Amino acid sequence: MENKPNFERFRKSMYLQQSDRVPLAEVLISDQVKSKFLGKEVKDHDMESQVEFWSRACYDFIPIVVGMLGPGRVTDAAKIYAIVKHSLFEDSDKTKGWAAEGRGIITTAEEFEKFPWVSADDLDYSKFDEVQKYLPQGMKIIAVSGKIFTITWILMGFEVFCMSFIQNEALISNLFEKIGTIQFESFKKVIDKPNIGAVWVVDDVAYDAGLMVSPKYLRTYLFPWYQRMAMICKERNIPFIFHSDGNLWKIMDDIVALGANAVHPIEPKAMDINEVKRKYGDKLALIGNIEVDKLTRGTKEEVIKEVKKRIKEIGPGGGYCIGSSNSIPEWMNYDNYIAMIEAVLRYGNYPINID
Amino acid sequence: MDILKNMDEVLQYPNDTKVKDIVVKAIEVGIPPIQILNEGLIAGMSAVGKLFKEGDIFIPEVLIAAKNMHAAIEILTPHLAKAGVKPIGRILLGTVKGDLHDIGKNIVGMLLVGAGFEVLDIGIDVPKEKFLDAVRDHEPDILGLSALLTSTMLEMKEVTQLLKNSNFKKMPKILIGGAPVSQDFADEIGADGYAPDGVEASVKAKELLGIS
Repeated sequence: MENKPNFERFRKSMYLQQSDRVPLAEVLISDQVKSKFLGKEVKDHDMESQVEFWSRACYDFIPIVVGMLGPGRVTDAAKIYAIVKHSLFEDSDKTKGWAAEGRGIITTAEEFEKFPWVSADDLDYSKFDEVQKYLPQGMKIIAVSGKIFTITWILMGFEVFCMSFIQNEALISNLFEKIGTIQFESFKKVIDKPNIGAVWVVDDVAYDAGLMVSPKYLRTYLFPWYQRMAMICKERNIPFIFHSDGNLWKIMDDIVALGANAVHPIEPKAMDINEVKRKYGDKLALIGNIEVDKLTRGTKEEVIKEVKKRIKEIGPGGGYCIGSSNSIPEWMNYDNYIAMIEAVLRYGNYPINID
Repeated sequence: MDILKNMDEVLQYPNDTKVKDIVVKAIEVGIPPIQILNEGLIAGMSAVGKLFKEGDIFIPEVLIAAKNMHAAIEILTPHLAKAGVKPIGRILLGTVKGDLHDIGKNIVGMLLVGAGFEVLDIGIDVPKEKFLDAVRDHEPDILGLSALLTSTMLEMKEVTQLLKNSNFKKMPKILIGGAPVSQDFADEIGADGYAPDGVEASVKAKELLGIS
């Protein structure tokens, strides 16, 4: 596959316009998949190889994480991960420890005070400088931020987090304020770096059937942070993308109101993309929606059929980027992933012409 | 019984004091334990489940209700035992091998208890052989399998096949759930049912056991 990065293609889509073809977009791809694609080992901090992958795989941007955690999983590079891992999994054989699902590290005001908090100054932004050496013509950086909701529940443990909304809201408030501040300050440290093309906040607040917590809590503790980030993006004329898994119907108006230009990943099990397009297609660009399960367990033919269907139904007029309905993990069927990219290159050119 | 009214609201109180007081009082005034359970706690939890299903309340409110329900059942259990009341069915729950997630499973478990089932939770990252041993030892009416990942849900097929190839006298129904799972997947692997959330799991579990 041969394709030169063209961020304007992606950018136009974010502003509900069409360019030469439907853009490809992912916010997280496993380094194992990247390594297979390039035929050499791709490491997290190897920005030359990272850029080579995103460029050769026909993306118009490279996503780089800023803040306390990476999207989808905690990154080894994050100091906070070391703290969480040390505290929760030291005596455990859970080598793939995800998070404390019951009781976490911060469950009381005292634990909040004692926690070895980092500040935005302590975080590492070197990737944003390093990547500049390798960016090809036309390619931009997307700063990936967010995770304010997610980090809060990881630190509290999910059950304590949920119960605290009702039993200890002061602790919830303090944590959102603290984590929101770190994430927001770190976002501000990169927003004016060269070649920042967009900001993508990643924070799962929903599951298949609905929101995890009442929208009133999201409006009080979470959305104001993203609204501030979106405002800063708007001042710089760069798009702001909101990601959450799950069924977001109850907060779609909030996502528009906070100033997002696009929503991702629109999981087919949770939301019908045609309905999203019909109701919000004039306000929000849509990203994703190719089902992870199909990409993992389906056939190449099924993947191509699904990609063609999305391009035909959602692509016309612009405002749609194709990608998985979550991310590209290492266990995904590699050939299906490649089939998705090739199908976009083949059938995604404007004007759309699919029978 | 007035004392058992509005139990859904009582179950959503920030702590369990109120619901425990009501159960104690109901016992004291001579309301049969089965009536306290069915017309009070289970009816209340069912109303909470309906609110959750309709999107009027969310996971925090359901968790509080489930924990309050547990506290109330603890008080009621000896009285139920004395009266010879048994759970409506026994459900064995576990997250399949390779998968360390347990939030969903725990919530489902609490809601199943709230619906009147006895729930045995054998944890996360459970190998298929351990499921088989637990089924042999506990003879559940239903085996509930949970997975969050597309990569681990395939393990459900292994467990289902292993169970179906076994020769247990009492074969449990298999109910599956988790983010990547669907009714199509349940059909594909030969599971008896699929539920998208804890409320639906309670409904489906009763349906599988022919309980109206």
